[in-house]
Amino acid sequence: MLKGTLDLLILRTLDFEPRHGLGVSDRIAQITRGTFVVKPGSLFPALHRLEQEGFIEGAWGESDQGRRAKVYRLTPAGRKRLAVERKSWDRIVTAVGQVLDPA
Amino acid sequence: MPLGARIRSAWRTMTRQSALDADLDAELQSALDDLAASHVASGLRPAEARRRALLDLGGTESVKEQVRDARVGAPTLTLLRDIALAWRGLRKAPAFTLAAVITLAIGVGANTATFSLVNAVLLQPLPYRGADRLVFVWSDMTTAGYPRGPLSGPELADLREQATRFEGFGAIWATTTALTGENDPQQLRIGLVTANFFSLLGADAAIGRTFVDEDEPAAGPTTMLLSDGLWRTRYGADPAIVGRRVLVNDQPTTIIGVMPPGFRLLMPPDSNVPEQLEAWQPFNRNMTGGPRGQMFLRVVGRMRDGVSVDEAAREVSVVAANIGARYAEYGSAGRAFTTIGLHDDGVRDIRPALLVLQGGVAVLLLIACVNVAGLLVARAAGRSRETALRLALGAGRHRLVSQCLAEGLVLAGLAAAAGLATGWLLLKLLAAARPASLDRIAGVGLDAAVLAFTAATALAVALAFSFAPLAEMVRANLVGLLHQGGRSLGSAFHHRVRKGLVVLQVALGVVLLVGAGLIVRTFANLTTVEPGFDDRGVLTFRLALPGNRYRTQESLDAFARQLETRLAALPGVSHAGAISHLPFDNIPNWSTTYLTEAGSDESRARRADSRAVSPGAFQAIGARIVEGRDFTEDDDEDSALVAIVDERLARLAWPGASAIGQRLATDPRVTGRPTVWVTVVGVVRHLRHLSLLEEVREQVYFPVRQAHRNPMAWMIRTNTDPASLSGAIRATVAALDPQLPVFDVRPLSEYVAGARATQRFTMLLAIVFAALAVMLASVGVYGVIQYGVARRQPELALRVALGAGQASLMGLVVGEGLRLALAGLAIGVAAACAATPAMRSQLFGVTPWDPVSFLVAVPVLAGVALAASAVPAWRATRVNPADGLRSD
Repeated sequence: MLKGTLDLLILRTLDFEPRHGLGVSDRIAQITRGTFVVKPGSLFPALHRLEQEGFIEGAWGESDQGRRAKVYRLTPAGRKRLAVERKSWDRIVTAVGQVLDPA
Repeated sequence: MPLGARIRSAWRTMTRQSALDADLDAELQSALDDLAASHVASGLRPAEARRRALLDLGGTESVKEQVRDARVGAPTLTLLRDIALAWRGLRKAPAFTLAAVITLAIGVGANTATFSLVNAVLLQPLPYRGADRLVFVWSDMTTAGYPRGPLSGPELADLREQATRFEGFGAIWATTTALTGENDPQQLRIGLVTANFFSLLGADAAIGRTFVDEDEPAAGPTTMLLSDGLWRTRYGADPAIVGRRVLVNDQPTTIIGVMPPGFRLLMPPDSNVPEQLEAWQPFNRNMTGGPRGQMFLRVVGRMRDGVSVDEAAREVSVVAANIGARYAEYGSAGRAFTTIGLHDDGVRDIRPALLVLQGGVAVLLLIACVNVAGLLVARAAGRSRETALRLALGAGRHRLVSQCLAEGLVLAGLAAAAGLATGWLLLKLLAAARPASLDRIAGVGLDAAVLAFTAATALAVALAFSFAPLAEMVRANLVGLLHQGGRSLGSAFHHRVRKGLVVLQVALGVVLLVGAGLIVRTFANLTTVEPGFDDRGVLTFRLALPGNRYRTQESLDAFARQLETRLAALPGVSHAGAISHLPFDNIPNWSTTYLTEAGSDESRARRADSRAVSPGAFQAIGARIVEGRDFTEDDDEDSALVAIVDERLARLAWPGASAIGQRLATDPRVTGRPTVWVTVVGVVRHLRHLSLLEEVREQVYFPVRQAHRNPMAWMIRTNTDPASLSGAIRATVAALDPQLPVFDVRPLSEYVAGARATQRFTMLLAIVFAALAVMLASVGVYGVIQYGVARRQPELALRVALGAGQASLMGLVVGEGLRLALAGLAIGVAAACAATPAMRSQLFGVTPWDPVSFLVAVPVLAGVALAASAVPAWRATRVNPADGLRSD
């Protein structure tokens, strides 16, 4: 997975609705149809880092299965961050595309 | 993320760690439960579901570790954790920690103390405003044998007029005067100064003011500036002192101010301006009008901003050349001045001594570091299996490196703290033992520069030695280490490193010991140098006869004759006499040009130090008349003018002929020109009165009844303790003139000891440093041999079991120590040969390759190494072979 992509994926996933930790990785796997499988060893450090940086915030709530779980939601700062990351991602995709298929 | 938020997060990471961790635990537990539940739902048994869930998560501990590492401020936290770990580790090995910290504290402390001296004396600017702008001007009379002489009044006026790169020039001349009236009469050591002297120097009064132009009187001085010391002792620190009228030499004088405590005149060593004078008075207004040959002014100049010392010196030289060409007095030789930065010139003598000492303690620090590196290697060796195990269990190498570094940092931190305390203590000791030439270190403390130096030293040390154990880890062969049976005493590699360190230590020890040996030999030579007089059993004191009560030469002579007769009659006194200067008394030197042929070029004549002596003076001081006769009471104003010269003058002026009966044109009355012809009646051994190291220049002695001087110093030679006679001499003087202050009562030997004080100080330090070096080296040798014995325990036990005798076993172990010592000695001797020539300027009577110093240093270290390896060797022989073989 490209460096920085994980942050983008997490932020975008939480942009739809708040989710708990494993819910985020399940959602990513589901949307990408298994292309990206985020292991807990990467997921939790990333979540905690993003939380510390103020882009997401966690609160104890309920998981899909009705268990007590820590649920993360996007903060306004996170929304801005997502926009920035998204722009830079678009730039990368366009640039790489130009290299692969020169006009 | 903004910096503020980042710091807050980092702070939270560090302070709320347990809360964060608890939260994380709960979160992971819930995730685990989720996963397990989904596995159960898909038909697995609960236990199996749980195992699968753990596998999915990748191990909760591992995830936790990764989360912790990802937190903001985590690296700091890791470092703190490593430091705490290192601290715990060190506390579990108190012997090792204590040995390492003490060793380093000695090295760091000695360096801190020495650097404090270097900093205070060489690096810190002089305590005057804009001190880097100040220069000292010497008159260069090298051809006359006087390379660093004073200037005359008119020459000061010339400089002020012609040198445009200067803001100004001021001058000082140290002399004495008497405080009369009020309490007891008191003789004062004062400086006569130009009115601008203090403002030029950049020094202000603490109370009142310093001099202004209007203070320069037409006749005698009427104003006086006090030192803090005199203000306290004589005037009880009276805050309303300014404006008080006192009698100085019976002349009404107004006190205009008091200088601050600790004010010192840091003039060059041979300017004869004492650092601490008691008071100052202004020169007469017409002082600059005196004869050009009357040279007595010590001149300080302040360069304008932006002018370099070189430029200033060039301009002063041009002025000197101009006046040399312009005035007939200078004859064909002309005039030359030398200009040197005031600070540079002042530390000219002490700088090389301090640098040698700093070099010495740097070597000591190196030895300490080597010792600690040895200890750390031994420690690493003891833990190599632990290290291997940790590597095998997946610890990252960078973690091990970081832990090593943390241990080094903790050790260095402890060493810096202990070293600072040691340094402070040493500095107090140094200050207590200071020679007069280093008087200003009395109040030196550990300032910011010193703290920075110590911290930097400790850090460098930590970095240097914490990597010693790492070498092994980088090479670590896991399987090999883990397979090393039950033994955990480290590899042959460790042992080789330690042996190398011991060799290095012995070598450095040789260098320090040889250096100290040279300094001790220098001092020994200084104490046995034949100065031309005998300072044992001589008590001296000074008297200044006030001019208003002793107006005529007859009255001066009558007083002196009576005093000398009475002094000689005191019980236990064999001789009494008077001389105008005592050896090493730091009173402005008097010298005169002399001619041996009428009509020869005065300007190219040599100079001789000139002294006036009473008839008994040479006997009292223990000087030997080698030819002709001593002065007698008949050599007075009514008889032919005579002189006694020293051997050096006799040899230079009349080579191969007798000096007796020869005639000499000199200047006994100090008029500035050699116009008085005297007949040489005697030749005396040269008196080393300005330097113990060398004969500085020729000497001529006049009978005091023909060349009156006032004040004079009296000397009595006794076969008892000279100090016991101080009461008797005071009573004798008081019986003749109760108003007369007796001052500078002290044994002649004190002046001579003062002349050796700097070397004595250097020697004490060198001995201490060398002793510490030998001690550290012996500890180093002991450590490595002991370690070697421990490693070879099974082998040694086997030898005993197979019937090896005690002697052969001892030989085996001691032999290893000796081999290391020999290697160290060989390297050390070579290194010392290379290093000692740098000390040449500090040596007297020994060459840098002095065989005695080497011949002492080598056996001392060899003996120490032998003793240090004999102890573990002896212990090795006591071991029960069965225990030795079983100890696995």
